[in-house]
Amino acid sequence: MKPAPQDHVRIGFYVCHCGTNIAGVVDIEAVARYAATLPGVALARHYKYMCSDPGQELIIHDILEHKLNRVVVAACSPALHEPTFRQAIARAGLNPFLFQMVNIREHNAWVHEDRAAATRKARALARAAIQRVVHHRPLVIRQVPVLRDVLVVGGGIAGIHAALTLASGGVKVHLVEKEPTLGGHMAKFDKTFPTLDCAACVLTPKMAAVAAHPNITLWTWSEVAKVEGAVGNYRVTVRRKPRYVIVDLCTGCQECVDACVYREPKFSDAFNLGLGKRKPIYLPFPQAVPPVVIIDAETCIELKTGRCKKTCVEACGDRQAIDFHMKEEQIEINVGAIIIATGFRVFNPRRIPYYGYGHYPNVYHALEIERLLNAAGPTGGELVGRDGCRPQAVAIIHCVGSRDEYTHPWCSRVCCLYSLKLALLIRERTHAEVYNFYLDIRTPGKGMEEFFKTVQAEGVHFIRGKVADVYPDPSPEARGRLIVQAEDTLLGEVLKVPVDMVILSVGLEPHPDAENLRRLFNLSCSAEGWFLERHPKLAPVNTFTDGIFVAGCCQGPKDIPDTVAQAGAAAAEAYALINKGHVELEPNTAHVLDDCSGCKSCLPLCPYAAITYDEARGKVSILETLCKGCGTCVAACPSGSIVQHQFEDDAIFSELEGLLADA
Amino acid sequence: MIATFETDVRAPNIALDTILTIPEGKRLRTCIQCGTCAATCPYGEHMEYTPHRIISLLRRGRLEEVFRSDSLLHCVACYACMVKCPRGIRLSDVLLPLVKEQTLARRAELPMEFLRALQNTLRYGNPMGESSRKRAHWVPSAGVPVPILAQCQRAVDVLWFVECYTSYYPRGIDGSRATARLFHALGVDFAILGNEEKCAGDCGVVTWESGLFETLTDYHLEIFRRYQFRRIVTGDPHAYNAFCVRYPLYGFHYPVQHTHQFLAARIDALKPKLTRPLHLRVTYHDSCCLGRRGGSFDDPRRLLQAIPGVKLVEMAHHRENSLCCGGGGGGMWLDSWFKARGLERLSERRVREAVATGADVLAVSCPYEIFRFEDALKTLGYDRRMVVRDVAELLAEALGD
Repeated sequence: MKPAPQDHVRIGFYVCHCGTNIAGVVDIEAVARYAATLPGVALARHYKYMCSDPGQELIIHDILEHKLNRVVVAACSPALHEPTFRQAIARAGLNPFLFQMVNIREHNAWVHEDRAAATRKARALARAAIQRVVHHRPLVIRQVPVLRDVLVVGGGIAGIHAALTLASGGVKVHLVEKEPTLGGHMAKFDKTFPTLDCAACVLTPKMAAVAAHPNITLWTWSEVAKVEGAVGNYRVTVRRKPRYVIVDLCTGCQECVDACVYREPKFSDAFNLGLGKRKPIYLPFPQAVPPVVIIDAETCIELKTGRCKKTCVEACGDRQAIDFHMKEEQIEINVGAIIIATGFRVFNPRRIPYYGYGHYPNVYHALEIERLLNAAGPTGGELVGRDGCRPQAVAIIHCVGSRDEYTHPWCSRVCCLYSLKLALLIRERTHAEVYNFYLDIRTPGKGMEEFFKTVQAEGVHFIRGKVADVYPDPSPEARGRLIVQAEDTLLGEVLKVPVDMVILSVGLEPHPDAENLRRLFNLSCSAEGWFLERHPKLAPVNTFTDGIFVAGCCQGPKDIPDTVAQAGAAAAEAYALINKGHVELEPNTAHVLDDCSGCKSCLPLCPYAAITYDEARGKVSILETLCKGCGTCVAACPSGSIVQHQFEDDAIFSELEGLLADA
Repeated sequence: MIATFETDVRAPNIALDTILTIPEGKRLRTCIQCGTCAATCPYGEHMEYTPHRIISLLRRGRLEEVFRSDSLLHCVACYACMVKCPRGIRLSDVLLPLVKEQTLARRAELPMEFLRALQNTLRYGNPMGESSRKRAHWVPSAGVPVPILAQCQRAVDVLWFVECYTSYYPRGIDGSRATARLFHALGVDFAILGNEEKCAGDCGVVTWESGLFETLTDYHLEIFRRYQFRRIVTGDPHAYNAFCVRYPLYGFHYPVQHTHQFLAARIDALKPKLTRPLHLRVTYHDSCCLGRRGGSFDDPRRLLQAIPGVKLVEMAHHRENSLCCGGGGGGMWLDSWFKARGLERLSERRVREAVATGADVLAVSCPYEIFRFEDALKTLGYDRRMVVRDVAELLAEALGD
């Protein structure tokens, strides 16, 4: 190992109190005193907030005054303030990579209680950084050009809004939606709270705008199959499932649907959650975008047996839009940034068997009621039960699959308000008695509490108690009536309320595809399975993968206004990235020394395909623009011929020695 | 959905005055007063202090007033509140036993029938007050050899823990005979403790007489040490519960199965032997300790469906949502106390649901239920329409010769 060139090294060491965040546990002054005794340290200081302007000025001043040529700051996580200090050092004219940050907050003060031990650990960490920084070399930040196109994954309200925002700013957008139509969950809602706008009236113009926008390429009935590359240069493979109808030729006239050999709709209609029926050839819903029919391969006789009269083809006539030979296609898209807006799934209430969903015909979940109340829904907007009953009394059970340790512990945020909305709509349209069984009514947000008051005044019953049981009324004249049993906790009485219909206010849960998407896009998920934002407050739409942003309920439950706001934010972040034209990358790339023996062990290991083998020289080389600095090849190289900037052997060994030497 | 036991919940020395400082106490602090416990409790509407009110008072430091009320005498230890609590609070496992114990300790007098059952259990090892020397008297009537460990003096695979009602009372012995026949049909290497066996004590711990329970635990652990066996199988869900949940606190470490679990694991061997079709509509009652507490819902149903001719129908309340027969938590000996207060017997509530299915047979997995349901069927005048059978009885009936 090379001896450290300590004679000309002048290190400035700074340790931060972070108010009492660090100083409350670590003896800051002792750490500074100790650091001052270490070889190469020209000065050691402590300060209340190193990240503050005066804190930064202190470093700049010292660099100039004391001719420092290395800086170590012991403070919080480098994820938060490494850029701050690097910039300060650069302002003093020093290369920003002659710097090392020590995390004595998250890795020390916040996780320890023993002051003496925590201080000893802080000293060891400081010594490790001081011994390491000696080996740092000046490096230059790399710039990589950024592609101007953006991929939006998910065609619900979040994806639609993000795509339109970017497209109107002149950005070319690819919008990928796995269903045959845009619209997502919002298209299934009847009205929206608290204003009671018709969901379709506000959503469908935006859906149409997406279809018409020259800057948006819409890929419905398609899924992302592969993602390669990195920020600024993503190569995305989209799998386009066959819909057996040529999108550009279909006019949406639906004459084929009328002509289908199935006279009556016979198959479960997914858009109406199985409450209605459709034919094998169908338009998902009247305002579907694109307004193009689709053929279901599972139920179409021609696709199943090849022996249908094909009356649909006949009806289509010269338009020739139907193509039974359509195959799945793979399309490659190159984009600079990606917005993930893949939404949520409603909780499956079968998981709480004592509410009787799937067992008693008139137990519904809330999304099904949206379809029943919708004029375009399976009952034309009439609230009619599966057994034909028109309910005189309806129970709405809140918090089904929310705030429950046995299912989902989180509050789904939207259920209180949609339950209020459903209560009001049912009250207005059917005059039925509506009983809302709630734990707490949570109505934060503009106009929401006022909406609650309106619903209360309409005569909806509110019973504070979680429903414990739903069972058939045992009395002989009950005719399908159900008993909803709960305690009115405000009166301390157990109630058994007979109702004709039970609506379960199901919570929101991560989409079942989330895990697959997480792997595809290299995202992180919270323990619950929601995509994790980079910072809950300060980077709410960024992810831990540069150039990939999240919007809407895939990040966590939220209502439409919040979803749209977040989609706008994600679009703005993506726009900021691509409009700059380039991204700056850490110079922590790997490079190959002349000792390379050409064994090619590293070639298959590189996840970014950045290593190439030069036949003539018999050696490998690394393309710096593709290298992400993961270090895999460095560790794998049997001859130690691959070296990574910022992670050279001498720096790492010195750091380890510093860490392990007795303080 | 089934609450699992964490180590802190199992600690044997939890006391009410320090409960809020242990991890389970932190969970108690998270109670949101949703009322699920009161609403699902079979006697919730008759309780002045429902579980969530008890938690409220505990958090306010005013638990004393609960001890002065009868509320917790209504608790039949059915675990319904525990498995539905949205905060996962271990009501039936931790808090309610402690409060009930204090309530009983401070009462000037206890319901006579209840008190006698506890005294009998202490004195004779069974709540009925039968002679402990007659515990194995049923054995010669089994029709097949039933070895007794003290006599056979060898290691066995299965120690069959018979329990009280199934040793002494004719309808309970029917179930024991059936189990013995099934074990023989399957070639199980088993033996029983015979007269050395006493009540496992679950009734003691859930009626919340912890001293009685510990006496019985100590006794059995000593007996178990004398013999060599690989596992314990019992047809009584209360014993099963005691062995699974409470005995390990005192150093017990044997694998435990309910008879139905044991048989269901051998269903492939059993099925070919079930050659006599029964042609019955059967509805199955999930016992609280085996179902909600033990999480065993499918095993008894698989066994019933293995019987040729049996059609299984479900009651409105089944599996996790089953209704208690009212026998747990000392309820077995509080029937007259409940009656004096004008309360409906839970066994009658259950039997009405069973009859509504149109089934011929109410199949059960717990010896208490045989007596409680047969009684309720008679009281309600349904005894010609429906019979009560342990799943093992039906299986044995279906065995070919």
